[in-house]
Amino acid sequence: MVIVEFLIKLSQGFGIGALALATGLLFGGIGRKIMARIQRRYGPPFTQNFMDLFKLLSKGSVSHGWAFDLGLVAGFAPMLAALMFLPIGPFTLLPSDSSLIMIVYLMMMAYLGMAMGVLASGNPNSAIGMSRALMLMVGYEVPFAAVIFSVYLFSKTGYLTQIVTQQAGGFMNWNIVKMPLGFLATEIALQGMLGEKPFDQAIAPAEIASGPMVELGGKYLGFGMIQHSVGLFLETGIVVDLFLGGAPNFWIFIAKQFVLYFIVILVDAILPRLRIHEATSFFWKLPLFLGILQAVIVIIQGGVLNV
Amino acid sequence: MSEWTEIVDYFRGRSMWMLHYCTGCGAIELPPTMTSRWDMERFGITPMATPRQADILLITGYLAIKTLKRVIYTYEQMQAPKWVLGFGSCTINGGIYWDSYNVIERLDKYIPVDIYIAGCMPRPEAILDAFVKLKEMVQMGEAKGYEKYVKNYDWYKANQDKVLKRTSPVLKEIEKVTKIG
Amino acid sequence: MNSLLALLIVPVIGSAAAAVLQRYRLVERLITFLTFSVTFLFLFEIKIGDILTWHLDFLGKNLEMGLQITPLSIFMLYMTIAFGIVLTFYNLSERSKMKGFLLLLTLAASNWIFMSTDLIGFFFAWELMGWSSILMIFGGKREEESRHGALYYAMMSIGGSYSMLIGIFLLSNLTGTFSIQSNVSYLTLILGLHPWWVLGIVSLFFVAFMVKSGIFPFHTWVPHTYGEAPDGFVPYLSSVMSKYGVYGFLIFLPLTSGAHVPSVLGLAWPNYVLLWFGSVTAVAGSVLAFMQDDVKKLFAYSSFSNLGFILAAIALFTPIGLTAGMFHAFNHLLFNGAIFITVIAVISKVGTTRMSEMGGIWQKMPLTFLTFFVGIAAAAGIPPFAGFGSKWMIFQAMISHGLIFATVLLFFASIASFLYLMRAFHAIFLGQLSHKYDNVKEVSAIGKITEVFLLGALIFFGILPGFVLDPINSIVNSFGLKPLPTSGYEYINGFFSSINMVSIFIVVIVTFIFGFALFAVVAKHKKVPQEDNYTAGQIPQDWNLTPEMYQFSYDFYEPMDKELAPFLKVKIDGFFKGFGESVEYIGEAIKEIFTGNVQIYTYLAVGGLVIFVIAGWVVW
Repeated sequence: MVIVEFLIKLSQGFGIGALALATGLLFGGIGRKIMARIQRRYGPPFTQNFMDLFKLLSKGSVSHGWAFDLGLVAGFAPMLAALMFLPIGPFTLLPSDSSLIMIVYLMMMAYLGMAMGVLASGNPNSAIGMSRALMLMVGYEVPFAAVIFSVYLFSKTGYLTQIVTQQAGGFMNWNIVKMPLGFLATEIALQGMLGEKPFDQAIAPAEIASGPMVELGGKYLGFGMIQHSVGLFLETGIVVDLFLGGAPNFWIFIAKQFVLYFIVILVDAILPRLRIHEATSFFWKLPLFLGILQAVIVIIQGGVLNV
Repeated sequence: MSEWTEIVDYFRGRSMWMLHYCTGCGAIELPPTMTSRWDMERFGITPMATPRQADILLITGYLAIKTLKRVIYTYEQMQAPKWVLGFGSCTINGGIYWDSYNVIERLDKYIPVDIYIAGCMPRPEAILDAFVKLKEMVQMGEAKGYEKYVKNYDWYKANQDKVLKRTSPVLKEIEKVTKIG
Repeated sequence: MNSLLALLIVPVIGSAAAAVLQRYRLVERLITFLTFSVTFLFLFEIKIGDILTWHLDFLGKNLEMGLQITPLSIFMLYMTIAFGIVLTFYNLSERSKMKGFLLLLTLAASNWIFMSTDLIGFFFAWELMGWSSILMIFGGKREEESRHGALYYAMMSIGGSYSMLIGIFLLSNLTGTFSIQSNVSYLTLILGLHPWWVLGIVSLFFVAFMVKSGIFPFHTWVPHTYGEAPDGFVPYLSSVMSKYGVYGFLIFLPLTSGAHVPSVLGLAWPNYVLLWFGSVTAVAGSVLAFMQDDVKKLFAYSSFSNLGFILAAIALFTPIGLTAGMFHAFNHLLFNGAIFITVIAVISKVGTTRMSEMGGIWQKMPLTFLTFFVGIAAAAGIPPFAGFGSKWMIFQAMISHGLIFATVLLFFASIASFLYLMRAFHAIFLGQLSHKYDNVKEVSAIGKITEVFLLGALIFFGILPGFVLDPINSIVNSFGLKPLPTSGYEYINGFFSSINMVSIFIVVIVTFIFGFALFAVVAKHKKVPQEDNYTAGQIPQDWNLTPEMYQFSYDFYEPMDKELAPFLKVKIDGFFKGFGESVEYIGEAIKEIFTGNVQIYTYLAVGGLVIFVIAGWVVW
């Protein structure tokens, strides 16, 4: 009986993974198309990312040893694992464990694995890229943490599923209305999380030869692409669950995610790249201020949850 | 199995990532090819930063012997399937450097070239034309230069060694130049 | 023999034996290991509530001394002795100059600290522990530096001990007894009447505990001492000895619970201050750590940064705060032990502690590499390894009080820990392998067993945290707080949510299996050596490119220096140095006085007498 249940969950998990990957790739393709139109180009077909991924997985590649292989696999597997705890529309695979901080830390495992893989390649460009990525992470995670904690205090729960249920019943119940400053801080942090301009220091192609990805080719680059696509789905999905009230069905969920991603692309299209220390300290200024202010407002409004 | 190969070839043709090795004046033709005017991204062709990631090696312009050494190294770092585009008459017959002592005349004596783009300079239309032609060849399963290189490696190697031996003393006192601090 | 007494006597006997046989390295190590194991066996004999008292005639007074087992002390005893066994087992194959008899004396002292019911015994054990560890640090590799490290540690310890001694005498003067329990209850009683008195006395104790745990602003000795201590001793120093301070804090923390003191955000203000000390320590440790190039120093900073987390959590003194703090103490012991043991394994093989000279060791020491990887994953708080649960609980404990600034600071420290861990990981194990390490071999069989054990423990306690949380719950209960609900070994119950670690573990495993399956199915790869690397077309041999030149690990976070410069200007170290210099100056001046002139002596004697009489009149 347990086995049957496990198999059902397993197949559902596969479905979620495939769906998230497909959505992430599609978003990437549409993003490229939008970017092309902003630059008055025709742009690639919106299915371009699917073809790229297929090509990468069928192309030969070089490996620098088992730590390299393990690292790259560990780069996307925890992302898929984190996905299993995310409420996607009305559906959550494992609702009883959907703790927000846990999901954030699982995602970090993916970054840790990716870092291990690319650093095992022994290229200084990837080391520079990784050091930049980590420094950027110190930047954007701090305002995001302030927002997470204010949502915790506001909703009085740490389950994403419950945070979603509490926002049911129309636009006025969404957290974006109740915590606008927090949403703003999150949106800025999202730009950094997705590594789009002005926060694309880690993968500066003309500067450090695409940074972490310098030695990746073929399937390894494909794994990187899977990580990025699933990460895109996951990160926008978390923001939708936190602020935009989740969704009654999958399609509305994707639509909301796309709105967030659309903003990210527009910002990406018009801004140049910052220097790394400017980017990090930027996150410690305005977004952190907004996040903390939001938390203080929540504390003043709702009081403290004394034990 | 052959259907599977056809599918794989189809997608390979639709997604070709390019490493451009710009040695001479030809580099100036690439920005218009990439950007709004001609937009090569609509064929799924994107510039890439390192040979590990790339499918196409685009060589623009003349190749001095020292440069050839780097091109061969880069080509060997790329992974199959990989294709080479020779751009401009310099790669075909040496172009205006046809009688230079240190410039090679024909690129495909050293690495297998899948398509040559003739002209001095070839316009972006010609480059796009070559890309489309390459795409068709890949999808038909005809662009097999990398296999030719493996099969006839001895011949290529002999040709390479013949010219490269002239480059051997790159620096007289290596230690002195590369010493840190 | 009474088993409580055995916990003190067995290590002392072992210590004597080890001291006699110190010339025979292996025998000494074996005795150390066996003594730890035998002490551990005696642990099974004791149970909560066991008590042993005796009387001592001291200065005409009849003092009652004793040993007692509380839930907290038994938890601490199990933790420290079990870790000691692992470490001494590993040290059987380690060649550093660690003196077994000193370690065993430390063990006796540590057992006494955890069991003592009276302040005299506590203080005596504290001093014994302090001095035996100071002597141990003298045996470091670099003689000059290790002497400096030991003296620095000694000075700070003595300062802390004086402070504690004054506290003890003030207290016993007030209550007329040395019993810890009655003193604490007396302090609780008068807290409402004389808050400043109580606070002053308790602070005197807290200085000693903060010094021992390396809490800000007394953290400065930690990097010097850890950096220079003998390799085999550093894990014990950082994993076990830093926890004595935590135990000390927990003696006095119950004071403010239930008392009427002004509060901040529902938290008694002394606790609030302590919490900030913890948070600042966590941040300071993390930030200073990622500027280090010496691997032992880096993890010294990391170590007291984690102590800051623990202090911040236990300072809350709520059920979840206390649980989180104790849980993190356990997890810190585990992952820090794993990290330090693998680090000293690497140091003993490569013969340097500078990270910029290492690199690429993973090719040579795969098991050590994996253990270190899981260790840093746990230290960074990544599920499903040990270390995640406690950090997760600490954040919830903090935020449930609305302590947004402190929580964000702690989260920052947690992310910054990612930075220094990755930097150490990269610089030691990843990147290019230098040719001078071509002959480096994996650790010996003993080392392998230790590493596999630690690897297993990190995963086991990560997915089945209940085995630690159950004893912690009884600790929480013994402090008169309501323990968190338990619902099976695989659950961690936080304030806002609870999670099932086994299900997370299964999900991660399944995705990894899927990942490797995908890896095996898609196109094949070709293994290349590290020389075959992207060099922008340049041929490495032509330019005499060596692996050392192609390894980027020195000044890894250079761009951050500029952003963090204002924070680094505050030099606590400099303060103590200045303090030391002024003490030296005063000492010189006093030496000047003692010139042999009788007149000056007379003046001094008279002056001293007057001060003594006045002080006595005022105090008594």
